[in-house]
Amino acid sequence: MRSLAVAGALLMALAGCGGAGVLPAVNVSQAGFGEHATGTVRLWVRAGMAGAYQYLTQRFNATHSDVHVELTVIPDTQYVTKFATAVRGRDVPDVVGIDDINSTLLAFHDSLTNMTPLLRQLPFRQQLSPGHLNLATIGKRSFAIPVAADVSVLFYNKEIFQKAGLSGPPKTTAQILSDARTITHKVHGVYGYSIAGDNPGILGFTGLPIVWASKTHLFSGALNDQHVNVGHNTALRALLTLYRTMWVQHLMPISDRTDSGATWGADFRAGTVGMWPGNWASLAGKIPSNLQGKIGAVAFPGVGGGRSEFDGGDNISIPRGAHNPSGAWEFIKFALAKQQQANLPASGFTPVRSDVYTAQFRKRFPLDAVALANLKSGYAEKTLAYNLAINQTSSPFTTMITDAVFGGGVASAVGGAQSGFERALQEAED
Amino acid sequence: MSATATVSRPAGQESSRLKVVRRHPRGRIPTHRPITGLTLVAPAVLFAVAFVLVPLVFAIYISLTDWPLIGKYHFVGFQNYAQIGDDQTFWHATVYTLTYTAIVTVPILLIGYAMAVFVRENKRGATFFRTIFFLPYVIGLSTLSFLALLELQPGSGAINAVLHGLHITDGQTAWLVNTVPGTAAICVLVVWAASGLTMMLIMAGMQGIPSDVYESAELDGAGWWDRELRITVPMLRRTIAMSLILSIIGSFLAFNQFYILTQGGPGTSTTTVVMWIYERAFVQLHLGSATALSIVLIVVVALVSAAQFRLLRVKDDK
Repeated sequence: MRSLAVAGALLMALAGCGGAGVLPAVNVSQAGFGEHATGTVRLWVRAGMAGAYQYLTQRFNATHSDVHVELTVIPDTQYVTKFATAVRGRDVPDVVGIDDINSTLLAFHDSLTNMTPLLRQLPFRQQLSPGHLNLATIGKRSFAIPVAADVSVLFYNKEIFQKAGLSGPPKTTAQILSDARTITHKVHGVYGYSIAGDNPGILGFTGLPIVWASKTHLFSGALNDQHVNVGHNTALRALLTLYRTMWVQHLMPISDRTDSGATWGADFRAGTVGMWPGNWASLAGKIPSNLQGKIGAVAFPGVGGGRSEFDGGDNISIPRGAHNPSGAWEFIKFALAKQQQANLPASGFTPVRSDVYTAQFRKRFPLDAVALANLKSGYAEKTLAYNLAINQTSSPFTTMITDAVFGGGVASAVGGAQSGFERALQEAED
Repeated sequence: MSATATVSRPAGQESSRLKVVRRHPRGRIPTHRPITGLTLVAPAVLFAVAFVLVPLVFAIYISLTDWPLIGKYHFVGFQNYAQIGDDQTFWHATVYTLTYTAIVTVPILLIGYAMAVFVRENKRGATFFRTIFFLPYVIGLSTLSFLALLELQPGSGAINAVLHGLHITDGQTAWLVNTVPGTAAICVLVVWAASGLTMMLIMAGMQGIPSDVYESAELDGAGWWDRELRITVPMLRRTIAMSLILSIIGSFLAFNQFYILTQGGPGTSTTTVVMWIYERAFVQLHLGSATALSIVLIVVVALVSAAQFRLLRVKDDK
């Protein structure tokens, strides 16, 4: 019995060693930090953004002989868990690319280095995407820096618009509906609009900008003391009503109901859909020859006009306790340099620097240029509850949108969603 | 000590051993030093301590804290256990898991038994059918779930195409987005995948029944059903019980097929207990609470297993 008690005490002591859960801060102010670093820099990224980092890593390693970046790709759904486990094990990578919606959570839990002094060193800091940076900023301290964007915009098929007699892309949600109706009725074998109806992540990615363009948000207030604005959110109701109407009136393909993301965008690339809320990553290198030059893009319109887009993608940071932070910062600076940023769209991702937007860039990547040009109107909900409330299959957002669009209707779905969002928020803030 | 070992010894040795046992009520056999036995079991005990007992004690400790996946934690006593009563999703998941277990257990046993009857004798083609029946289990539930995910797609999946070809559906059935069809699809998949193991266990048991028992029964005029119900089934009671235990525990711990096919949705309507524990730990990042749920699940599974073993033992005694 006594030995069991000793064993228990030992376990508790061991647990106590990691109990603080906070690794030592990185000294970013030491002389020569981020210059002429040596050794290996361990970089962890999520699979969804691997293309951007493969490009950045290859270029960095090709131009740096003393320091080498070792890239580790982790499945998106496991990323936070793996990183948290690394923090618990006190053996973290030197640099992490983080889904920007998760950067709030990781910053809030003191896992990342305060990058504010390093950010101040960047002459182009004012040109960095404000939406991305906002997600990694708590108070006046920034714990990560935007590195590569994955932005949602509304793509449209110009040829189909022309056949339907439509002059240009929609400027309001009402116009999205009327355009979708016109396309479906006038162009044989073509649907007006298409969504991935069984993927909450994509539904949030492509639907919420319509809410933001209407000047409202789902979450407000300081982190850990936030409020939910769902039950009486008229813009959210307008979005759900738009989707439901398009579904009920068969303006969207029937396969949208079960599209879990595996076939997302395939119908648009096949030329059977007039408007598609999507991202550049789904089109880069995949546009068939018969559609070349026939695709246009705009940021999402709101109920009464306005424009917005989802600021998805990655922020990059140095975890607390990193072994080679100097090498990590050297890599981050390289990744943010204009030359690397200007080439990001070739791997499917959008630069995070607005000063990359030039005539040459517009000519080379006309579709991605729309996302870059609208970075200032981009947004993403800044909350600890994004995954819980929106991204998961079991989230209240999923239940709400499924009921509203494919089920009983908008009124009942939104009415019950407020409490679900509040519960998710409470869970996240506990 | 097993009866088999006692019977196989020569009579003289048996009687001397019995005397030894009588002189040593605790059952020690003086022919070997105690250290020999301890040495032999030590590796197994060490492994059990290192990989079962220590993690279990540590898990119990975590369950008494508010351990988040990231950040600081505090000791909260039995708060996590107390909150289980208010966790509506957990109770819904428990009811759903029990329902799922009830649905799949009997078909797995009956189909496994039927397949075992079909292939138990070494007739021509028996090996082929054994392989065919056992193959789904070998392939594994995760792989089968991914295949099912593709084949259940409306419009493009083979299952919908076949049903459409037979004029049963329009081929656009979205099996996995609603609770009832999603659960039905998973149950059919699991019964198909798991029956093979039950078949193998029962077939092995059947082949262990001496043929002279059946011959005697035949001489007494017993028909096929009499032989099955009065000889095979009673003599397979242990095997059937083991199959049931494996099947029920497997169903209690169901995760992969639901995670791949329905992801617990819509909402949390097809969320199993283990899925909910996973969600508490790795989505909601409440490791302390999730570990408390895990401890409860361990206790429940242990109790169910113990009850089944006890029932079996009672029958044996009778």
